[in-house]
Amino acid sequence: MIESQLRTLFAQIASGEPARSRVNTQLARRAGRARLRRRRTWVAGGSVLAAAAVAALAVGVGPARPGPAATGPAAPRQFSPLVPYASFGWLPPGVSLYAGGITPAETYMDAGRVGPDWALGVYARGQCHLTGSASVLNCPGSKLRIRQRAPDVAGHRAFWTGPGPRIVWQYARGGWASMAIPAPNLSAVLHSKQDLAGTALRIARGVRYGVTTRLVFPARFSGLPRQWQVHDISFYVPDGGLLRADQYMLTTGSSRFHPRVGDTGVWTGAPYIIVGPALRKSTCTPHDPATKNTSEIINGYRVVLKRFHIGGLPMQELCGAHADGLAFDIQVFGAHTGIDVASLFRDHMRLLGTNPADWTTNPIG
Amino acid sequence: MNHSRDAEYSEYVAARLSSLRRLAGVLCGDWDRADDLVQATLVTLYVRWGRVRAAAHPDAYARAVLVREFTHERRSVWVRRVRLTGTVSDCPAAAADHDAVLDLRAAVAALPARQRATLVLRFYCDLNVDQAAEILGCSPGTVKSQTARALQAVRRALGPAPAAGPADRPAGAADYQINPGGPGHD
Repeated sequence: MIESQLRTLFAQIASGEPARSRVNTQLARRAGRARLRRRRTWVAGGSVLAAAAVAALAVGVGPARPGPAATGPAAPRQFSPLVPYASFGWLPPGVSLYAGGITPAETYMDAGRVGPDWALGVYARGQCHLTGSASVLNCPGSKLRIRQRAPDVAGHRAFWTGPGPRIVWQYARGGWASMAIPAPNLSAVLHSKQDLAGTALRIARGVRYGVTTRLVFPARFSGLPRQWQVHDISFYVPDGGLLRADQYMLTTGSSRFHPRVGDTGVWTGAPYIIVGPALRKSTCTPHDPATKNTSEIINGYRVVLKRFHIGGLPMQELCGAHADGLAFDIQVFGAHTGIDVASLFRDHMRLLGTNPADWTTNPIG
Repeated sequence: MNHSRDAEYSEYVAARLSSLRRLAGVLCGDWDRADDLVQATLVTLYVRWGRVRAAAHPDAYARAVLVREFTHERRSVWVRRVRLTGTVSDCPAAAADHDAVLDLRAAVAALPARQRATLVLRFYCDLNVDQAAEILGCSPGTVKSQTARALQAVRRALGPAPAAGPADRPAGAADYQINPGGPGHD
């Protein structure tokens, strides 16, 4: 029976667990704390890349020659939060886009079969800088060490970087893009029997810019002052279909960024929103000794209001685990923000149900 | 984020890390990816530590988090931000590298993530249909159909057995029959 063969196979794989593990509990704790503090996502990539610098690299080539800079139209100075600026034009068979995000400085997208195989980051104008000797490309939170010149991408200069293998290329004047390649190191890419380098180039050359696929949001805010804007959006793509926003931040006229809170800072007076389909077992954290919780009904939904301190800042959180099939969480940091999460939810936020066809491309309005 | 939270979390992870890794290894079929998956899972567990601690079965909760990370359910881009980038660990060769095992392994690896997760939950974790459904966040009926499809796909990939009985007919010859109570109710 195939079932017993499967049992044997799985047991055999499990018994081959290597003793050496790259899992780092301390890093997980730090990242978890960071997520709790709602650190800005794109900055966090830096520490990971810095850690990667200790990894060995088999390809020992010197700095690449700079090559011709991109001419023609300039890259955008910042990206619209509602429309991803870039998209994959081609991906290998079986690989599809499953998640991404937009900050003013970066549009990023992950594609893969199982995990983030191909991670594309497209940076706004002026965000990345090539050092004079063309040995390093400095992007927000990332220091990409250039190992050698790659074939041009759409007529623009491109480089292989490592140790975490990537291809980086200038997609427009002042704008750079970078893509992580699913291989342990650059040597494995350049000497791959599956022609990973060729695949990477084909993906890079197929990236489309200035596309107009809008995100859909499962909630709409109305009646807010004009200064309120959407920022730092994360989205997911469950079946290769609509790009569904599930995490984002709203900034107001009084929002302030505090770079020294946490490792990479936090915004006060800026609601952090997480909203998406509820899982059957979704709950709001039932008990945390450091938290003052109250449970109440708002707009017909059972919600939990929590007040506590993180990083020396007071924080309010409103969580609803089951709201017409959606789960949501709103967090606001700061003591004098003038924002009350319960009022924000009661008076301004409307949940749009579980059918993405009913969701909105205009989350504030 | 007080010290007791960190201490409890660290203690739990230290005790369970190996079993989480093994499950991740079976799901991914690749220890390098498995470590990435476990790393992402540990971050989520830290964030939801209150829920883990309060759960009736913390291990089941942790397993569900790991499997859902694997199947991309409501996948967050934050996951990619904790992706590990160190050197690749040395993987020991499979204990039995004969063709049949490799074929089976390749067939399982070619399955969509959700089907693979279903097989792993059923035949590695020995969960019944209801338990697997709870972890996957779907109905028991979906688990049954995913199991059937996965087994069918594996059979198809392996080709017809030399002396195929009724239960081992090649895919397409007949629909795979599921036990009335589901394969896990035995």
